[in-house]
Amino acid sequence: MAECDGKSSPKFKTNVIKSLDTLESYISERDNSEDVFYLSPVPDLCKEYPCILGIDEAGRGPVLGPMVYGTSFCPINEQMILHKLECADSKQLNEEKRDDIFKNMLENSDKIAWGIEVISPNSICNSMLSRSKYSLNQVSMDAAIKLIRAAIDSGAKIQHIFVDTVGKPEKYQAYLKTIFPSYEITVAKKADSTYPIVSAASICAKVSRDHALRVWEFTEGLEIKSEEFGSGYPGDPVTKKFLVDSCDLVFGYPQLVRFSWSTAENALKDTAYHVEFEEIEKQDKKDAPPANNTSITSFFKMTSKPSIVKKEHEFFARRCLTRKVEF
Amino acid sequence: MATIHIHPKAQFAKKNSKLQSMPFKVHADCDANVEQYFNSYVKTTKDNYFKSSFRGYPLLGKEVPVPDGYVGLVLHESIKPITEKEERKLRITNTFSNITFWNWDKVPSKNDSIIKALEWIEIAEVLHSPIVEE
Repeated sequence: MAECDGKSSPKFKTNVIKSLDTLESYISERDNSEDVFYLSPVPDLCKEYPCILGIDEAGRGPVLGPMVYGTSFCPINEQMILHKLECADSKQLNEEKRDDIFKNMLENSDKIAWGIEVISPNSICNSMLSRSKYSLNQVSMDAAIKLIRAAIDSGAKIQHIFVDTVGKPEKYQAYLKTIFPSYEITVAKKADSTYPIVSAASICAKVSRDHALRVWEFTEGLEIKSEEFGSGYPGDPVTKKFLVDSCDLVFGYPQLVRFSWSTAENALKDTAYHVEFEEIEKQDKKDAPPANNTSITSFFKMTSKPSIVKKEHEFFARRCLTRKVEF
Repeated sequence: MATIHIHPKAQFAKKNSKLQSMPFKVHADCDANVEQYFNSYVKTTKDNYFKSSFRGYPLLGKEVPVPDGYVGLVLHESIKPITEKEERKLRITNTFSNITFWNWDKVPSKNDSIIKALEWIEIAEVLHSPIVEE
């Protein structure tokens, strides 16, 4: 049994990400069933001059792997660097190009800082399948808030925050404004193609997700390479095959898979054993009329012997104790 | 009511199994890859509970010891009774001294069935022990 992960770093070898290799080792050294956070060293320029900060996400839709929130920030008067780095909508770029831009960003660590929150598939499921139903939107917003707060706490002089929206931009913007009242905040649809600082954040998120999948180690001990589980999008035939092949009849899937996605849920319904959760059943039955009630008409029936059912004391009923044998 | 015969296997006392009580029912009777898919993920939280997941559901667990002077038995019945009045023969396959009790996203507490059921043992002892005059 492992101990719960504190965020203390001495137990890990990699604590600073300087390349794609160190990005991979940073992620793979940490527990992939828990969230992983990283914030790059903040350059002095970001502490001296007012900065713009971007937030975007990668891997919200796929049925497997982590969802990654990314941030990047740089001084307003240095933002030309973003154009030089060719930061554009990460979805328009191929994987190789994104890796290149990310590497160039790392080389400009004197001007641009970045951070990620890798939300594990297990923690996404746990949130969505918790009693209080912590929604994916709330998980997303909390990740964004965590990154913004970390940037502010690092001493960076953040002035304007740009966020790619989750749900309705107006509502989200108003919500962020209540949390960060002293900052300028812009929440917009497709912010990653409009604002280069959001594109940069989006690239950090996407690159981190791709590499997190590449170094994914199955706690279940399965020997499956990332090429064998695919992108995680429901339409991907490789992912489809993986969901069929790696199904365990009792446990369902390895924890790389997001159980709370309908693709996974439906696939399990067809192949794995049916599972009934006690509490969920009980909650459903709450509205039903209480059983064992004597109906009014029964009092008018002429019966010689009223049937007496010996009931056990409530003490036993409450403890789920019944007598199985007469001694 | 039926009579239950319990047949101990000679070596039963040696086998101490790891028992886990889950808040769900799997509609199957088979071996499961518990070590691989479940135990490998179990963690201890700061306040000394266990934490794990099953099919994405968050679970919180606690070790519940079998009371002193008692031993837990895992019984197996090869021939299922047809009527309630039949004599039943059960075989001991394992013993246990702890149960890991799991709840769905709720800290195990005194209000949970197994923990409450075990209270009866203590109460029964008090109820059935002879009254000693002072």
